Amino acid sequence: MTISRRDVLLGATATAALVPLAARAQTSEVVIGVIYPFSGGSAQQGVDAQKAYETALEVINKDTDFDLPLAKGEGLPGLGGAKVRLVFADHQADPQKGRAEAERLITQEKVAAIIGTYQSAVAVTVSQICERYQIPFVSADNSSPSLHRRGLKYYFRAAPHDEMYSAAMFDFFDAMKKKGTKIETLSLFHEDTIFGTDSGNAQAKIAGERGYKIVTDIKYRANSPSLSAEVQQLKTANADVLMPSSYTTDGILLVKTMAELGYKPNAIVAQDAGFSEKALYDAVGDKLEGVISRGTFSLDLAQKRPMVGKINAMFKARSGKDFNDLTSRQFMGLIILADAISRAKSTDGEKIRDALAATDIPGEQTIMPWKRVKFDEAGQNNDADPVLLQYVGGKFVTIFPPQAAIAEAIWPMK
Amino acid sequence: MTAQAIIQSLASGLLMGLLYGLIAVGLALIFGLMDVVNFAHGEFLMIAMYASFFLFAFFAIDPLLSAPLVAAALFVFGAVVYLLIVRFAMRAKANAGMVQIFSTFGLAIVMRGLAQFFFTPDYRSIPQSWLGGKTISVAGIFLPEPQLIGALVSILAFAGLYFFIHRTDFGRALEATREDPGAVALVGIDKNRVFALGWGLGAALVGLAGAIMAVFFYIYPDVGASFALIAYVTVALGGFGSVFGAFAGGIIVGLVEAVTALVLPPSLKSVGIYAVYLLVVFIRPRGLFGSM
Repeated sequence: MTISRRDVLLGATATAALVPLAARAQTSEVVIGVIYPFSGGSAQQGVDAQKAYETALEVINKDTDFDLPLAKGEGLPGLGGAKVRLVFADHQADPQKGRAEAERLITQEKVAAIIGTYQSAVAVTVSQICERYQIPFVSADNSSPSLHRRGLKYYFRAAPHDEMYSAAMFDFFDAMKKKGTKIETLSLFHEDTIFGTDSGNAQAKIAGERGYKIVTDIKYRANSPSLSAEVQQLKTANADVLMPSSYTTDGILLVKTMAELGYKPNAIVAQDAGFSEKALYDAVGDKLEGVISRGTFSLDLAQKRPMVGKINAMFKARSGKDFNDLTSRQFMGLIILADAISRAKSTDGEKIRDALAATDIPGEQTIMPWKRVKFDEAGQNNDADPVLLQYVGGKFVTIFPPQAAIAEAIWPMK
Repeated sequence: MTAQAIIQSLASGLLMGLLYGLIAVGLALIFGLMDVVNFAHGEFLMIAMYASFFLFAFFAIDPLLSAPLVAAALFVFGAVVYLLIVRFAMRAKANAGMVQIFSTFGLAIVMRGLAQFFFTPDYRSIPQSWLGGKTISVAGIFLPEPQLIGALVSILAFAGLYFFIHRTDFGRALEATREDPGAVALVGIDKNRVFALGWGLGAALVGLAGAIMAVFFYIYPDVGASFALIAYVTVALGGFGSVFGAFAGGIIVGLVEAVTALVLPPSLKSVGIYAVYLLVVFIRPRGLFGSM
């Protein structure tokens, strides 16, 4: 079923005629749509994301004394203290369902903006719908580089994308080589949706530029019942570094299969996603001592910025988990979006867009190790510095870049 | 590509294929008996994996020991599903096929939803079991113990099923009911009882598979979907209604998958399965061992 533009216009006109004028003039509530997988294979990410957004909502709607935008005072000051309300929608990791839900949120729920989506493949369709309706879309945790390169006016991403992450990994390799570590050959292992594909392409490109040899580049089918054949090829190639880009389920299966087939790489440097998930470490953490994953968040930051620890405690009270790479980005995404709405002093899509484009938040006023939040013309924040984290003794420590690191990298991993 | 890599792939494919066969046999049994496709077959597998997981988490019963328990529980569950749902769906006068499809399909969605509600969508896995993570290495070929035991159980279960169908009274009643459900009533066989038994057996077999897989696979509410599709192809490839065909089909699918991943990019490995399937259907529409 498709809804034509005419139907939507008719519907919107009819609704506008019915809603009393007074109710529209005074905004006591701003509605933001949150699109995540709440059922299906990635439902856990949706459930965790919901907790992250609810934590951000508490910071925005209640009076807290953090050094974050909107933390002090209740609600959005630019809209007379209007409260933010979130409407959650389930895209089931399906780009087409994402498209339909985005359309529903905009036309039925009258959201002022949309935030999402975990899977980059879904962000593609959701952001297209938002563009059509001129509703801002904040891509909180999608990392595919191609997302902001589609000429969309209403697309914004405060977090790094996979080219920035991959560049950080290679910066790290370069630094390790200078210290005398042998890193010459790489095995890429990535899933076949937009996240894995973009990540693999970015890594292959940078490896070529910096003179690393890719001995095998395996693109595998996501959610395969078996990864034996793939792991067999990784084992045969036996590169200095294995670089996986996998979601959680495949990540677990990959690590289990590696153990079964007797493949122990010198080092694993992962493109986050599944490798930032508690579930993965609960399942196979014993086999991952020393694994390195890129990230955009590190709890170590709490040592320098105490509010990070306090906000993490708020999140932990809700979810039973520490912030990870994904949930921290989701939290920050909503703060940035709500701040823009407040500065726009309006729930009009175009005015919020302009306010987002004018965003300039110093890094200290975030919970991330970023320089600042400022979007370029494509809606990408280029000042979001990635970090590399190493899983040591059951937790992650920051090992790169040097200014953020609190420990030296352990190499080989064990 | 070394000879070792080829042998390793074939060995992994065979071990996986035997499990695919075990999963598919239950589906084939039910279809052969009463022409009903159980669209909740993958969810039966999922429930079995959770059962195995919880028995391990709460009572520290190793999946190897709990497998018979899980199979027995799934037997009861399968029979109950027949008595409470499928029996009524089969009475439909209009659109009988559709009613059957939607009743088991609906059951699948309900089971998935309930699993997500009660067990949360978290990914579980059994970290330490007797077999978990252990591997036998023969001349550089790695044979993971959980899969080896799984393959052994598959063969035993299939042999047991074969014996049951061909050598026992109940098995004969099963075969007779399958041949002519109307006529068996005349000789005093309760059709409903036989069908319930068939559902119970089918569920018990997939239960066995799930219990063993819990050791080396991750567990979450949607896990059945990855395997169910393969099970349907396996049944169709082996021949609708043929229990032996389903088992052989599983082995073929496992091997084809492994070989395809060896010669083509791994993201295309299921292409091999479907290509072989299309070829078989083209040459022999009833499937390799189909009798219809």
